[in-house]
Amino acid sequence: MRALLPALAILVLAGAATGLALAGESYTAFVIALVALTALVGIGLNILLGLTGQVSLGHVGFYAIGAYVSGILLLKGAGFPLALAAAAVAAGAVGFLLALPALRVRGPYLAMVTIAFAFIVEHGLIEWRAVTGGANGLMGILPPPVMGLMLAEREMAVLCVALATLALLGFLALAESRLGRAMLAVRDSEVAAQSVGLNPVVLKTLAFVLSAALAGLAGAVFAPLMMFISPGSFPFSQSILFLFAVVVGGAGTVFGPVVGALVVVGLPELLADFAEYRLLLFGGLLLAVLWLAPRGIVGEVARRLVRRRPRPVRADAGAAMLAPQGAPLPLEVRDLAIAFGGIKASNGVSFTARPGAVTSLIGPNGAGKTTVLNMIGGFYRPDAGAVRLDRDLAGAPAYKVARAGIARTYQTTQLFGSLSVIDNVRIALKGDPAQAEALLAFVGYGGDLDAPADDLAHVDRRLVEIARALAMRPRVLLLDEPAAGLMRADKDRLALLLRRIADAGLAVLLVEHDMALVMGISDHVVVLDAGRVIAAGAPAEVRADPAVIAAYLGGDTGRGRPRAAAWDGSRDAVLTTVGLTAGYGAAPVLNGVGLDVRPGEAVALLGANGAGKSTAMRALSGLLRPVAGEVVLADAPIGALPAHVIARMGLALVPEGRQVFPELSVRDNLMLGAHSRGKAARGKAGAAEVAADFEALLTRFPRLRERLSQRAGLLSGGEQQMLAVARGLMARPKILLLDEPSLGLAPAIIGELFDILAELRDEGVTLLLVDQMAALALTVADRAYVLEQGRVVKAGAAADLAGDAELEAAYLGAKAGGA
Amino acid sequence: MGIFASALRLPRLAAAIGLAVTLAAPARAQDTIKVGLVAALSGQSAKSGEAITRGLQVAIDEINAKGGVLGRTFELVRRDDESNPAKGLLAARELVQKEKVVAFFGGIDTPVSLAVVPFANSSKVPFIAVWAAGTGITRNGAEENYVFRVSAVDELVDEAMIDFAVKIHGTKKPGLMLINNPWGESNEAGLKKAAGAKGLPVAGAEKFDNADVDMVPQLTRLKEAGADTLFLVANVQPAAQVVKSLDRMGWNVPVVSHWGPAGGRFIELGGPSAEKVDMVQTYSFSGKLSPKGEQVLAALKAKYPEIKTLADVTPAVGIANAYDAMNLLALAIAKAGTTDGPALRKAFYEIGPYVGLIKTYETPFSVGNNDALGKGDYIFTHFKGAEIVPVGQ
Amino acid sequence: MLILSAIVSGLSLGSMYGLIALGFHTTYTVSYAVNFAQGSCVMLGAVLGYTFWVTLGLPLPLAIAATLAACALAGLVVERALVRPFTARGSSAWLMATVAGGIVLDNAVMFTFGKEPRAFPSLLARTPVDLFGAGVYPLQLVIPVVGVAIALGLHVLLRHTARGKALLAVVQNPTAASLMGIDVKRVVALAFAASAVLAGIAGLLIAPLLAVSSDMGLMFGIKAFAVAILGGMGSASGIMLAGFAYGLVEALVTSMLGSSYTQILVFLAVIAALALAPDGLFGRAAVKKV
Repeated sequence: MRALLPALAILVLAGAATGLALAGESYTAFVIALVALTALVGIGLNILLGLTGQVSLGHVGFYAIGAYVSGILLLKGAGFPLALAAAAVAAGAVGFLLALPALRVRGPYLAMVTIAFAFIVEHGLIEWRAVTGGANGLMGILPPPVMGLMLAEREMAVLCVALATLALLGFLALAESRLGRAMLAVRDSEVAAQSVGLNPVVLKTLAFVLSAALAGLAGAVFAPLMMFISPGSFPFSQSILFLFAVVVGGAGTVFGPVVGALVVVGLPELLADFAEYRLLLFGGLLLAVLWLAPRGIVGEVARRLVRRRPRPVRADAGAAMLAPQGAPLPLEVRDLAIAFGGIKASNGVSFTARPGAVTSLIGPNGAGKTTVLNMIGGFYRPDAGAVRLDRDLAGAPAYKVARAGIARTYQTTQLFGSLSVIDNVRIALKGDPAQAEALLAFVGYGGDLDAPADDLAHVDRRLVEIARALAMRPRVLLLDEPAAGLMRADKDRLALLLRRIADAGLAVLLVEHDMALVMGISDHVVVLDAGRVIAAGAPAEVRADPAVIAAYLGGDTGRGRPRAAAWDGSRDAVLTTVGLTAGYGAAPVLNGVGLDVRPGEAVALLGANGAGKSTAMRALSGLLRPVAGEVVLADAPIGALPAHVIARMGLALVPEGRQVFPELSVRDNLMLGAHSRGKAARGKAGAAEVAADFEALLTRFPRLRERLSQRAGLLSGGEQQMLAVARGLMARPKILLLDEPSLGLAPAIIGELFDILAELRDEGVTLLLVDQMAALALTVADRAYVLEQGRVVKAGAAADLAGDAELEAAYLGAKAGGA
Repeated sequence: MGIFASALRLPRLAAAIGLAVTLAAPARAQDTIKVGLVAALSGQSAKSGEAITRGLQVAIDEINAKGGVLGRTFELVRRDDESNPAKGLLAARELVQKEKVVAFFGGIDTPVSLAVVPFANSSKVPFIAVWAAGTGITRNGAEENYVFRVSAVDELVDEAMIDFAVKIHGTKKPGLMLINNPWGESNEAGLKKAAGAKGLPVAGAEKFDNADVDMVPQLTRLKEAGADTLFLVANVQPAAQVVKSLDRMGWNVPVVSHWGPAGGRFIELGGPSAEKVDMVQTYSFSGKLSPKGEQVLAALKAKYPEIKTLADVTPAVGIANAYDAMNLLALAIAKAGTTDGPALRKAFYEIGPYVGLIKTYETPFSVGNNDALGKGDYIFTHFKGAEIVPVGQ
Repeated sequence: MLILSAIVSGLSLGSMYGLIALGFHTTYTVSYAVNFAQGSCVMLGAVLGYTFWVTLGLPLPLAIAATLAACALAGLVVERALVRPFTARGSSAWLMATVAGGIVLDNAVMFTFGKEPRAFPSLLARTPVDLFGAGVYPLQLVIPVVGVAIALGLHVLLRHTARGKALLAVVQNPTAASLMGIDVKRVVALAFAASAVLAGIAGLLIAPLLAVSSDMGLMFGIKAFAVAILGGMGSASGIMLAGFAYGLVEALVTSMLGSSYTQILVFLAVIAALALAPDGLFGRAAVKKV
């Protein structure tokens, strides 16, 4: 019944429109006919924009093609049905031809291709005079009688309404169908769509063709309705009005184009008496609608009216996994190589992932793990090598790889955000849709089946993504850091899940940083460093391999230097937080965190991945807003201020991943660091101060002096980190925050970096440091806080914490186990 | 926050729309005779719509001041067609069916008028073209033709232009410079036909767009093809560009133009050489005016204070055609004694003589000829400073 | 001689297309949004220049300054009212909003400035000079020089001043830029102002060659957008080159084949070029990451 409601509404609407058209003056019928035709084009455009997310500013071209094909045929005495069909087919065919170049480009580039198309059609109609009648158009196009019935305005209006109704019902059916969901999937994430075996090019082309054909059909009726067509009937502005109709009505909603058509056709009629002021008012009112209803009128109304009742996974759904398609097969990777701009990201990588086993791919950051995964998954085309399942898949596009039985998940989850949880899984599923719920139960998802994937909590996103991958019934499952950002308990459940998946006969290939997880469930571990395999074997063997320890875990033996004498400064904190609570979406990542940092002190913020360390840094620096609780910097509350104001107040953050300005020179990067000094850097004295600091920093970081005029993007990772720290110091901050400075750096560089941090500390720079290498951080810090699940669970002097067994168990324990 | 803000804003939109609707429906007296206008009031051709409006309004004020017709006064209802035939047809339907106009006037664009013609004939409401010169508008093949015109007819203008050029400039090889729009296209056919009738070989037909700044390539091709006179069909701005391009080429060639340049500040835009261009006109407010001319000019100046000099009374043809057409319509209504369409149509053929602005109409319309102006009513003029004067003065 | 005249016309118009297109580039790089009313800003430059100089009789430098200041203000209004409300919500309805804004602006100017095209007097566009047998207005030779000079000036401003570098920083990494104390929202607003000023300069320069009217901007806006796309939205030098290329092709097609087929051929070339180089002729493809 619920599903039939929109269809019923469409029929009621159609009935009302028909009644109005038959009862009113012929002017009313004429307006209704135009609204219906605009709606018809809008529905077509909605397939393109609403379902696949492609914009077209050229639909008036298809409308014109339809009108001319039908007009010419009718003038030659053809029957009406033939004229309609021919117009739709012709427009659809042109749509197909345009899709070939159009779908190679995106965003504003696509807009330009469609604009160009509209102008080509307009001028083509003017110049092809022998057929189109040139600028003065075609006259006397009369609708031929259909089954003895003369088609006057009222009959034409009924025909228009009937066509629009059919199109609307068709759109409804399409949107609810597997094909429609596949189009939505392409709109939400092309990457993920490919990984469930969808071919985005085919889907987008299909949408383009359907959309063009509907516009052509509308044009085919427009010609005999007007009885006269000329290029002037199809101005470029009409294209914009069509798009307006969809956007104003609500792209992607069933009724959006209808409401939009009412606005763009009806509103000017209401304003007719304003004569020359009509366009001015019309433009103004359109703006008003856009401001009031940015999701479109229907979208906005639906958001306010529709209250969804959650539908959790049923307890009796039965948790079942699907058997993989075909017999179990090993995934064999042989000599896989790829280079980006001369850097060999992967160089002769070979390994085998056996069915029924968990194979893990580990290595330090930047070792090439995700690159290898992307080559297996078909997102990168390898320069050399083979990926064999039942055949060699190297270089095949992602959707073909997925169809061949290799499913995957992503580092940052790639769900179809606007689709419901259940639809995310169903899209990958061939066969019984009920299996989707069983799969979700199998992976341990217990939430709402109808919730849009965008609204899910992090852990649920991971689980749904795995369920979706499993719905492909793959032979091989690739997982890219599935445990990142999960809490311990969730990680444990994930480990069990992966084990069960492998036990069902799949080859599981895991890229993961969490050593406890990797060592706990892997049958086989492959270690990558700098794009090469440096070791492979059982977890115990790999763990004992000295090459692995040196490359991967060596950072733990860095040479941070503690302060000579214990810190003893002012007790008045530079930076204080009380009850700091922050997060993304519903669940807070930070929960009532209180900490303070005193002048000249070095404080470390420790915790496992996902404990909230980076979130704390973002909340303190103003990158994450809003936050609850108090944040005070040098006696001023900053909890509500934006990042740039906080920066100017003297808090400098050296962000995770360094984030230097790659196209600017090292010098420019450093000088931008001084930007936050504002007025203080201006004038003679200010400039001299900046110059002096600049000089001092170059002395501290001699490698930066050598590369002063090089682009920052060309520096090595270590040099970029030095630059990021130096850039932060150029601000002469009251406090310097460092977020994961050691991430992805070679051990020698890490040592050098921490030496510099110790120096800075000794010179009295106030530091707040977050680093995954807790032991190292503790050597530099005076004090430390330990975060767990967004709360401070421990605080104390660095020396005490370093020896604390509880801390080692909770945090370092995982690392220690790995080493 | 979003919900509250929007909730506060919603009534404002409602108020805006309400205001729009109220303004759109000012109280109207029951006993007026409504006449309509479907013309380009916005966009590139807005000036033409304004001129027609002024001509009609001055005529209506005059008639109403004398007590109107059949004891009722006239009221003008205007609609913007945005130069789009589809919008024009929609507006015509609205005027006839909702506003119940007894007759309506058309604007500058021939395609818009062509789109309206079948509707005018089928709904039996007279449609009077006061600018668009496309031949097929009045010669539309309908048995009962409800379309009349007080304006030039392209085919006749084209003949007149060729005749004039042969007589004055001794033209042997015409070169056509045409704006790339429906108007240019229909004159291309007309000029070629007229030249053919005189046995003149056409050197070529070149097109240009409204926003083009350089017509040297087109002109050079005509020059190389041996054109000895240029026939120009374009509105004032592109026509000025043609003159400037001729200057840049240093090509001194006679130019005979359709009435486009008269519709604006041709000398200001085209420079002194623009004075050499001969233009077809149906009317000009320059020079010594007839008493009727003086009277209308005074009325225009009184009603539209922004009209200060003769350079502001443009385009004169739009004003004059509309003024005469409105008066002819009033005469027809008076003659018919009713505003009923079929009776009105018959009455059109029975009116006259009428001393108008453009000329004295003896029998403006007759069965088979729905055009009030003919070949003999065109005068050839050129700019002298900001004024338009007949050729030879 | 024919070709030479076409080349001069092509270069002068092309440099203006490039300048207007640089406006698209400026805002796109900082906000991934463009002002589709850019053509209306070209018109605004010409109309205001005419009003301040001819109608109100201000001295030329003052009139130019006032015009460009007003254009900058218009750019700020566009950003605040037509772009930010939508980009802030992650909506791309700014496209529609700026188009609607352009309709409103064009019509508002039609009622205030008037419906008639007016001539923008300029000593440089009064008497043609002889250039190897082709008559050209001195202004036609000045325009490309000014156009390139402004583009170079913009380049210098960006690369060699603190403010310019702040803008580049926002382009490359808005998050890191805000950590440097750079007010990203303000930079985006300034980019829209700069974009409108570039359009205004083009309007002022082009007006004496053409005529001043409320509807003069539309085709300039569309052609400049084509140029920006062809050059690659992210590449300023690519856009200037594409501007010259577009102007030249347009003028040469007109001079060789007549203007009937100019638009058809030029827009076909645009589609073909984009099919071959989906990120513009001079743009760089981003490495896709998953």
